Amino acid sequence: MENARRTQSVLTARRAGLVGCTTCGRVHARQAVVCHRCGSRLASRDTGSLQRVWAWLFAGMIAYIPANLYPMLVTSTFGKTQQNTIVGGVIELFEHGSWGVALIVFVASVLIPIGKFIAIAYLAVSARSAVVIRGHGRQHLYEVVEFIGRWSMIDVFVVAILAALVQLDFVATVHPGIAAASFALSVAFTMISAQNFDPRLLWDAYEADDT
Amino acid sequence: MTDPKPADLDISTSRPSFWRNLSFVWLVPVLALVISLGLAWQSFSERGVAITISFPNAPGVTPGETTLRYRDVVIGTVENVTFSDDLSRVVVHARVDKDVAPFIDDKAQFWIVSPKVSTRGITGLSTVLSGVYIEGAWDQEPGAEQYAFVGSDGPPLEQPGRPGRRITLMTTDGRLISEGAPVYYHGVEVGRLEKPRLTVSSDAIVVDAFIEAPHDRRLNSATRFWDTSGFSVSLGGQGLTLDFDSIASVVAGGVNFDSVYEGGEPVNTGHVFTIYSDEAEARRNLIARSTADAVSIAAEFGESVSGLEPGAPVQYGGFKVGEVSAISADIQETDTGPQIRLLANLAIEPDRLGLAAGAGPDEVLDFFDAAVERGLRARLAAANLFSAALVVELVELPDLPPESFQREATPLPILPSVESNLPDFTATAEGMLERINSLPIEELLDQAISLMASIEAVASAESTRAAPDAVVALLEDTRALVNDEATRALPADIRAAVADLRGVVAELKEAGAFDNLAAALKRADEVATNFATASQEFPALVEDLRAVAAKANSLEAEELVAAATRVLDSADKVIGTEAARDLPPAINAALGEIRASLAELREGGAVENANATMASAREAADAVAEAAAGLPELSARLERLVAQAEGLIAAYGDRSQFNDETLSALREVRQAARSVSQLARAIERNPNSLLMGR
Repeated sequence: MENARRTQSVLTARRAGLVGCTTCGRVHARQAVVCHRCGSRLASRDTGSLQRVWAWLFAGMIAYIPANLYPMLVTSTFGKTQQNTIVGGVIELFEHGSWGVALIVFVASVLIPIGKFIAIAYLAVSARSAVVIRGHGRQHLYEVVEFIGRWSMIDVFVVAILAALVQLDFVATVHPGIAAASFALSVAFTMISAQNFDPRLLWDAYEADDT
Repeated sequence: MTDPKPADLDISTSRPSFWRNLSFVWLVPVLALVISLGLAWQSFSERGVAITISFPNAPGVTPGETTLRYRDVVIGTVENVTFSDDLSRVVVHARVDKDVAPFIDDKAQFWIVSPKVSTRGITGLSTVLSGVYIEGAWDQEPGAEQYAFVGSDGPPLEQPGRPGRRITLMTTDGRLISEGAPVYYHGVEVGRLEKPRLTVSSDAIVVDAFIEAPHDRRLNSATRFWDTSGFSVSLGGQGLTLDFDSIASVVAGGVNFDSVYEGGEPVNTGHVFTIYSDEAEARRNLIARSTADAVSIAAEFGESVSGLEPGAPVQYGGFKVGEVSAISADIQETDTGPQIRLLANLAIEPDRLGLAAGAGPDEVLDFFDAAVERGLRARLAAANLFSAALVVELVELPDLPPESFQREATPLPILPSVESNLPDFTATAEGMLERINSLPIEELLDQAISLMASIEAVASAESTRAAPDAVVALLEDTRALVNDEATRALPADIRAAVADLRGVVAELKEAGAFDNLAAALKRADEVATNFATASQEFPALVEDLRAVAAKANSLEAEELVAAATRVLDSADKVIGTEAARDLPPAINAALGEIRASLAELREGGAVENANATMASAREAADAVAEAAAGLPELSARLERLVAQAEGLIAAYGDRSQFNDETLSALREVRQAARSVSQLARAIERNPNSLLMGR
């Protein structure tokens, strides 16, 4: 167990000449191509992973731009129409004194997505070369990114519920704006991006460090 | 035994070409990018066209919230509200949809829609909660692009894209109309009035009205507008009538229009109509009054214009061609010092002068130029006989010193005038009135009344009624007397008596009358001397005298006298009546003569007097005849008097007690008159019948 603290002594499956099935977890000999148990394709390293990560990441980032420029919510109250972008909404909430809600929205809609972009980009870069965070840090980072991704959908969720519930004609109507769809796409893209990341690549970097 | 170890693989990290390894997953970000760019492009391209609209005020216009609408559909949003450079106007910056923008051309109009509560209802209620919005209106034809517009506070009457016709109405009383007041055609609202405004000369109020299609087809030159605001209460044969068009028109005013005759000429947009005060007046004015086209000229008068009021008609040959718009005094410097002249401003309506429709001021002035050459002058004239109101007449008089139309005079061209013959006319009228005034009508009436009273008293007197009877009786008696055999015989007897006398005288002459006389005297002497002896013979003489008397008696003079006495009595009776004395003195005189003759007859009691009596009777008869000749005249006079009195009484009206009495009196008078005239006719027919009988 003391080895766990020492990253140098990490033995990767690849070095051990094994390959694990990413679907069911069974370990095969390196040459195996198809998992004997579940039939999944086996690959010691997903060579296209990084490409896909970058691709989805870029897609997510692109989608995030309109998500911030366009109104998220279109609310009409008594004939008055109000359009709010994400940041605009946060500022408005903040100005109204709803600090907590403002904070939640800000974290969920701004901090987390942007953090994710940065995190995924960092992971993708670090899988190739430069390592800033040593040891299991990157693994933790990856796990956090993968876990937290879904929570970014909180905004979209709120918008969807509001739009579905608040249809009171003249008194109040809520429509999702373009930003809602963009934001949902952005979150989805970044999640796909995170999922496409092959965390095993992270270990190769360790190996590279060791050698 | 060593585990078979897999040979070390020479793992050469192949460096495949970049493109070969390129994953299809890159399509995703590319697609995302394309979509994003597409969105961006779309939103950019759909961002709309920025326009600016300037308003005098922009109440409730909020950037980002206030929308721009066309036909109540949102087509844009206000982005910013600023002021114009000099702060005189509010400039609203807005973006409008790109597909609508080309239609917003120079004909576009914008106004701010805000809630408005008026007598005609509540409009813009939706803006109470949503806030105001800017409504735009334009036609369906794309026009030249324009980005700066001038908006108005309220909706314009004539909105592009809404067919209809814009006309102008004129009135003199601005209280009758208010902005937004409805225009009715047979009670159906077909248009609206715009804000009333004063004309430049401030003597009229013009208000634009918009008549919506298809009702604008009703407009033609025969169309008359009248005011329907307020209500009228009239008490007539059908009881109390309350008449008003609608509550809205009562409060806000409204105008109605209709064609007053068939076959009016179509009118153009902007035609000026007059608003008449009521329908009856509108229908009376078959000739459109369009003071708007009126050309102002002035007429200078050297005499008093007292009685000339603004609004007095200007007549040409009795036909109204305009009206007096103002009267002013003007000080003019002359050689003899400042002189005040009186100017009447005349508003001449070209179409009434018979000039072609649309004739401008120049044509009118040309007309006057030529007309003044021919002798046209302005002249004051009385509006009618009994009022002091004056009108201005345009007359063409020959033989006038040439004058010219002072076309260049300021402020208005001056039309020369001539002295009116007004004062004479007035004097005549006044003189006539004075004469009428000075007529002693009341005295006349008093006299007439007293006359009537007298007539009545006379006529109602029993004696007056009896008078004719008495006259008739007198005549009967007279006739009887005349008819008497003895009376007829009288002349013969008289003649015989005269013959006898003549015979006696002749005998006397023959028989040596003087000797006889002497002898007679002698004999008388003898008689006297022998009187004593003769006295013994006296009884014989008495006997002779008695015989003579008997002879005279045999003349039946007694009877004559008795008849005459009867006549006299009758006449006396007649004459004795009070009323008869009032009869014409001729009759009285006649009667007097008759009485005198009868008195003579009675006095005489002798045959000798009969001659004189007869002569007197004849004279009397002549006098009666003369009087009778006067009778027709009398009766005619009475008739006239009655007729006049009747006329007079008719003037008093019937049914008064006075009239009844007067009429009955007159009836009696007429009866009397008829009797008199009957008598007169009888006498006239045969005057001798009075004496000779028939």
